[in-house]
Amino acid sequence: MIDKFGKLIEDFSLSELRGGMQITAKEFVNKKITVQFPEERTPISPRFRGLHALRRYPNGEERCIACKLCEAVCPANAITIESHRREDGSRRTVQYDIDLFKCIFCGFCEEACPVDAIVETKIFDYAFLDSRKGSVMTKERLLEVGDNNEKAINEAKAQDAKYR
Amino acid sequence: MADIEIEIDGNVVTAQAGEMLISVTDREGISVPRFCYHKKLSVAASCRMCLVDVEGAPKPQTACSTPVNEGMKVHTQNAKVKASQKAVMEFLLVNHPLDCPICDQGGECELQDVAMTYGSDMSYFSEGKRVVVDNDIGPLIHTDMTRCIHCTRCVRFGNEIGGIAEMGGTGRGEDLKIEPFLQEGITSELSGNMIDVCPVGALTSKPFRYALRTWQMNATPSIARHDLVGSNVFAQTYKGKVRRVVAKDNDNVNETWISDRDRFSYEGLSHENRLLKPQIKLNGKWKEVQWNEALEFTVRGLANQVSDNQANEIGALASNTATLEEFYLLQKILREMGSENIDHRLDIKDLENSITLDSNIKLTELESIDYGLIIGSNPRLEQPMINHRLRKAVLAGADIDVVNVMPFDFNYRINSENIISPYQTATILAEISKSVLKSVHAKNYLSNVSARDSAQSIANRLLTADNSVIILGEHIINNPQAISIAKLISEIAQQTNSATLNISATSNSIAAEMANFVPGQGGLDANAMLAAKLKAYILLDIYPEYDFHNSVKALEAFGNNTFVVSMNSFKDKVISQCSDVMLPIASFYETSGSHVNIDGKVQSFAAAVSAPSESKPAWKVLKVLADLLKLQGFHYEDSTQITSEAVNQNRQKATDERPVSVIAEAKRGIDVIYQKSPYATDVLLRHASALHATKIGQVHLASMNKSTAEKLQVERGKKYLGVPVMVTESVANDCVFINARHPIGGKS
Ligand code: SF4
Ligand code: SF4
Ligand code: SF4
Ligand code: FES
Repeated sequence: MIDKFGKLIEDFSLSELRGGMQITAKEFVNKKITVQFPEERTPISPRFRGLHALRRYPNGEERCIACKLCEAVCPANAITIESHRREDGSRRTVQYDIDLFKCIFCGFCEEACPVDAIVETKIFDYAFLDSRKGSVMTKERLLEVGDNNEKAINEAKAQDAKYR
Repeated sequence: MADIEIEIDGNVVTAQAGEMLISVTDREGISVPRFCYHKKLSVAASCRMCLVDVEGAPKPQTACSTPVNEGMKVHTQNAKVKASQKAVMEFLLVNHPLDCPICDQGGECELQDVAMTYGSDMSYFSEGKRVVVDNDIGPLIHTDMTRCIHCTRCVRFGNEIGGIAEMGGTGRGEDLKIEPFLQEGITSELSGNMIDVCPVGALTSKPFRYALRTWQMNATPSIARHDLVGSNVFAQTYKGKVRRVVAKDNDNVNETWISDRDRFSYEGLSHENRLLKPQIKLNGKWKEVQWNEALEFTVRGLANQVSDNQANEIGALASNTATLEEFYLLQKILREMGSENIDHRLDIKDLENSITLDSNIKLTELESIDYGLIIGSNPRLEQPMINHRLRKAVLAGADIDVVNVMPFDFNYRINSENIISPYQTATILAEISKSVLKSVHAKNYLSNVSARDSAQSIANRLLTADNSVIILGEHIINNPQAISIAKLISEIAQQTNSATLNISATSNSIAAEMANFVPGQGGLDANAMLAAKLKAYILLDIYPEYDFHNSVKALEAFGNNTFVVSMNSFKDKVISQCSDVMLPIASFYETSGSHVNIDGKVQSFAAAVSAPSESKPAWKVLKVLADLLKLQGFHYEDSTQITSEAVNQNRQKATDERPVSVIAEAKRGIDVIYQKSPYATDVLLRHASALHATKIGQVHLASMNKSTAEKLQVERGKKYLGVPVMVTESVANDCVFINARHPIGGKS
């Protein structure tokens, strides 16, 4: 009986509505946090695990030595590598594919790589519009991502270095 | 040796007095890390990795070189041991480049495994490391000597198993280098085993270099069919292809070793010359067709050529590398059709004079002989694993005498090497026989024989030795007195209580005999089939240019007006010239089947990979062919049913009534002994490129002495039968020994 009476008062005093309006009023004057993607972007951790890239040494030589550790560690079996002996006698890949539809972006490949060749960049806004095949990042495309983003990759690595 | 009791980590275990601690721990499954110790090699005790704590000893002891004693108390896990293991590991890694990511041994490396388990997880070594410059040691083994940890397993392998000290250590301390002594590198026929014994990635397989990581492959146990031993191997496969072959332990067959031939032949499997699609010849033009069309064409062709009561116009020939099941099915098809023209002995000039001699000694027993007589063989190249057993016997004190047409490079001490012309072989055996018989009940063919000294002494050895063996080799198969030689051998063996070993035919020839793949009553043998120009031939993996003693005759026989069905794994020009239909069949490792080795042991294997493209295992092709021919009794579900039928069939051996004659023909020409290069004995080997780049694979010579050369009017630098002539006085009179990689022209 008492309960019913209390509820009635609460309903008629519009207390819930006023509580809601209070938040609205506060946010009305507060600083806005909406990010206007893609013009604006949120800050991203140096450890962010986005699109993969294959890196080169400053002299242009590709880093990857076809050790296949990334292929072995990948829990999603997303990486496919074929290796050979290049004319100069060094061990290199002839094929390096990552199927991004299989990839779960765990970053294990980057952890496993003994020469920091495969890395995951901060890039996450990509799409494969052409076909299923587009999801397979070939060696050429991965190297291209690496070439275009070497500076960012380097910076991220430098930022993270002290925690390693 | 007496059993004693020792205590390891608090548990009492029994051991044999005098045995090394490490063999006890291995038997008990207690892990003791090691690098230099190898169960089949001598003890070097140089790596110090196997340290254990023996109570009473002031310092840790090496388990590989510490003999066990009654009451000994050993600790393999305590703090002292752990500390020493860690310290040794650190020393071993001081000069190791730690380049595991580009090392082909990575994933199967003993150093990697032991370092992970026993080593430290941190390194504080910041000094420079040693770098060793590599030599090219041949087409089979790649070296990265910077990785070498100086365990000397490869050196000991060369000295003890390979029989040639090809690898050795030069320099001392920091400058110690393991390298081949000779510029030409490693040439042994067993050299590939060094790759297996090397615990690190210093010695790795060259053809396999950088191809795959070891964890990517599946290993299927299989049997190598290149010789009479049937070495046990693992075929390591990746994406449906054999990518590497390594040894599989079997103490009764190949111990831990395999020959280079068995190890590297797989390279041929992916050769571009593989026959991949069924083809039929229509109006002289080849056309690729579907299997059913090709088989129907085959059946029609056979029916057109051979009317119902003419089955004996069909002949079947098979190469010695076929499996037991294939031999069995093909002979069954022929016999069901009513033909007895079946043969696998293709390279014998005169099959009336072909050798029959049982082998009655096991491979393992060969090690314990105390006397051996080798007649007409260079076992090192022809049967490397049998030679290995003989070498073990010699090292244990056995004596070996040899009767050959020229000296060969044996890798053990030979008591006496008798170099005699082929026509004297029977004579010397008769002399031995006569000395053995002591003329008490001498046979009449021995009446005119008087024993020379060498024969006398061989006879004495055979009589006095407890375990002796007489070995009959491949060089005798075309000796005009082959049958007499074989009979004399079995006669002598009986009289002297010796064993006999017949290594005159190779590959899977014993399976062919077991499957009765020989002409039956009224059937024609291989040569007769060629001479008779039959109306139809079924050829199983035969390459006329290489496989027949007389390839010219073979090509004539397979010429016009015959219907030739070729079941082949490879294509070549000659085979496509002379056949009417080519059916692609599986090669080694691509089919299930069985090999029968010299012990009579039937070793079955499963297919490691499926046959490439449209080729099919031959036993399946034969089964379907039998069904299409409407023959009864070919309902097999899998090859093992055929195996048991083949093994269990009743086969009587005909007694050999051919007379023995030891008198050489008065007027005779030059005897030619044609021996295929050990890396050209079958079609798969002929396509294995790395083997052909080796020194053994390169040999292509017709050796003869000066007087023979004069008689033949050839000289050094010229060619005889298409093979470069080598004139050396060490060859016996009136004979030419040809060791050839390619088919030789105009053999007669
Ligand atoms: S991020 Fe993970 S799932 Fe993706 S490729 Fe690398 S290892 Fe594989
Ligand atoms: S990317 Fe790195 S881990 Fe992967 S194969 Fe190349 S070197 Fe090895
Ligand atoms: S090459 Fe290999 S087997 Fe030979 S000594 Fe060095 S580590 Fe040992
Ligand atoms: S294994 Fe004992 S010292 Fe090397």
